Amino acid sequence: MEEVIVTIALWFGFYTIVSLSLNLEYGFAGIPNFGRALAVLMGGVAVGGIFNRILIYAFGVSGDIITASAQIRSMTNDLIASNPVYGVGLLLLCLALAAILGAVTGALFILPSAKLSEDYLAITLLAISEVAFMVCNYNTAIIGGYYGVSTPDVLAFVPGEERMVAFTVVTLLIAFLVYVIVRRLTNSPFGRLLRAMRENESVVEATGKSVMVLRIKTAAIGSALASLAGALYSLYSVNVIATSFSRVEWTFYPFLMLLLGGAGNNRGVVVGTFTFVIVKILLTIYKHEIRTFLHLPFEAVWLEYILFGLLMYFVLLYRPEGLIKERPIFTAPIKKVVAKIRA
Amino acid sequence: MSVIEGAIVYSNLLVLLSVGLTLTYITTAVPNFAQGSFAVFGSYISLTLLRLYNLHPYYSLPFTFVLGGLLGLTVYLLMLRPLIKREASVVILMISTLALDLILLGIIGSYSDSLAQFTHKSASRFIFTPYDFNLAGLSAILLVSSLVIFLSLFGLFLLLYKTRFGVALRASMENPDLAEVMGVNVEYTRLFSWFLSGALAAMAGTLLPFRQEIVPSTGAIIIVSIFAASIVGGLANINGALLGGYIIGFSESFLTYNLSAILGTGILLYSKVISLVVLVIVLILAPRGITGVNWRRVLWKKSSSQ
Repeated sequence: MEEVIVTIALWFGFYTIVSLSLNLEYGFAGIPNFGRALAVLMGGVAVGGIFNRILIYAFGVSGDIITASAQIRSMTNDLIASNPVYGVGLLLLCLALAAILGAVTGALFILPSAKLSEDYLAITLLAISEVAFMVCNYNTAIIGGYYGVSTPDVLAFVPGEERMVAFTVVTLLIAFLVYVIVRRLTNSPFGRLLRAMRENESVVEATGKSVMVLRIKTAAIGSALASLAGALYSLYSVNVIATSFSRVEWTFYPFLMLLLGGAGNNRGVVVGTFTFVIVKILLTIYKHEIRTFLHLPFEAVWLEYILFGLLMYFVLLYRPEGLIKERPIFTAPIKKVVAKIRA
Repeated sequence: MSVIEGAIVYSNLLVLLSVGLTLTYITTAVPNFAQGSFAVFGSYISLTLLRLYNLHPYYSLPFTFVLGGLLGLTVYLLMLRPLIKREASVVILMISTLALDLILLGIIGSYSDSLAQFTHKSASRFIFTPYDFNLAGLSAILLVSSLVIFLSLFGLFLLLYKTRFGVALRASMENPDLAEVMGVNVEYTRLFSWFLSGALAAMAGTLLPFRQEIVPSTGAIIIVSIFAASIVGGLANINGALLGGYIIGFSESFLTYNLSAILGTGILLYSKVISLVVLVIVLILAPRGITGVNWRRVLWKKSSSQ
């Protein structure tokens, strides 16, 4: 039971980061980012491809990325186990690398939006993300492709049985930080500008703001945040493998959590994420029991796909505004006006 | 199969898929992200008929045509029409087809497991190439796929340009509101386009295993090529899908093969990267696709600047 709760809390942390980043981009700015998985994959690349290479260079290990990473892991784990500061430092380095790589990728990735309408843009973003996924999967030189690369355990100083709890605490802490960042951003003039852009781009242009610059900023911030989730996930599983960054897991499910909770409402998105994660983790943990109980002649994962696909459809049909609706903006001057009217 | 033959077969199948995608985009204004899974649905119908009744995949084409069409109709009636009635935005409609893709993947996957249990033969990974044969020195798949594409396009053009229904169809594709005022039932156009889109995609699915291995998630892999083909040609024009299908099909197989002679065989894995590059280049030069360009104006500008 305790393990189930910890697993739910851990995945709630990962998915909160991703769905909040998507809320910034789609919920507030209205960018149909069907390529969210790319930013998460970049988090994995930052850890498996860049961070590992830095360590390999620092330790002077030779060989290809897959075998060298395995060597690096045992060397760094010993160091981290004896000195926790080292582990925390490496964790922060990974997150910084992921944020930078994510921001750069996000800013470049959104450039086609300069010329494309909504539907063309969504298709192009999905195609870019899907192709990047295929390249990382086939090419073993980037992050080990389908073999995967191992990464150091940054929490090697924590005893084995408590590692998962410790990692969950770290993840939830970062998820909370992301929540604070997104909340402050969206409750600022910048956030109101994003909402204005979502409703009418021409109005934003007319006030002298560049829609393109706004989009690039939003995508860079959003992708940087989503990359954090990818990096944390890779560090948690001490293994980066391209197949775990699929479109279903990191683009479709975040959209489901976002729309379930309520696009454009950060608190709603967190509620939506929590609801989704509980269902998903229970389904994953009890998949064998479900299979034998229902006498299914097939794997329970297919049932999961059908279920979440249908859930998405019913949310779109019956509750497109989500569990908690987006609320009107109440800035200090507006509050004053409202108070005057009431008085 | 020679490289050229392979390229033609692949392009033929892409055209079948992208024509369907373009048709539904024109009538319902939603890019269907489940088009690839429509094809895999067809592949599994052929596999079932082959395993249970020992029917050669070529003979299962009529069945996949009808069943694929029914799938397309069901999707439109049960899923998209209720959303359109509630005036959902384009993005919401696109997300609903993403959900549909996932539902279909779940259904196909569970069906594949069940079929494997029933026939005691794995169905999660299959290929039809052993069933192909040679006709007059050419592989049968080349002739069959070309015949299928010729008959479907010829039929479509006869219907669109030689019948009263076709006139009504074209009118409601050009301008739905005006057509409705003139007494055309626009709903028929949508039903027709979804039926045909599903039918063509399922037929492509029957023929696809002759060229590549099929797994339940194949749809997610080929969707990039289908969209590239439709967008390069121009999503708003059926002729564009034809043009785009051959451009993407040839660059993905023929161009990749020739590049491998220079850059080494490793590049063969990256055929989808080539179609993405072609897609991005076309989008930068002509955001509305090749058929979206006003060619007369381009030529006029060129001649006047000289």
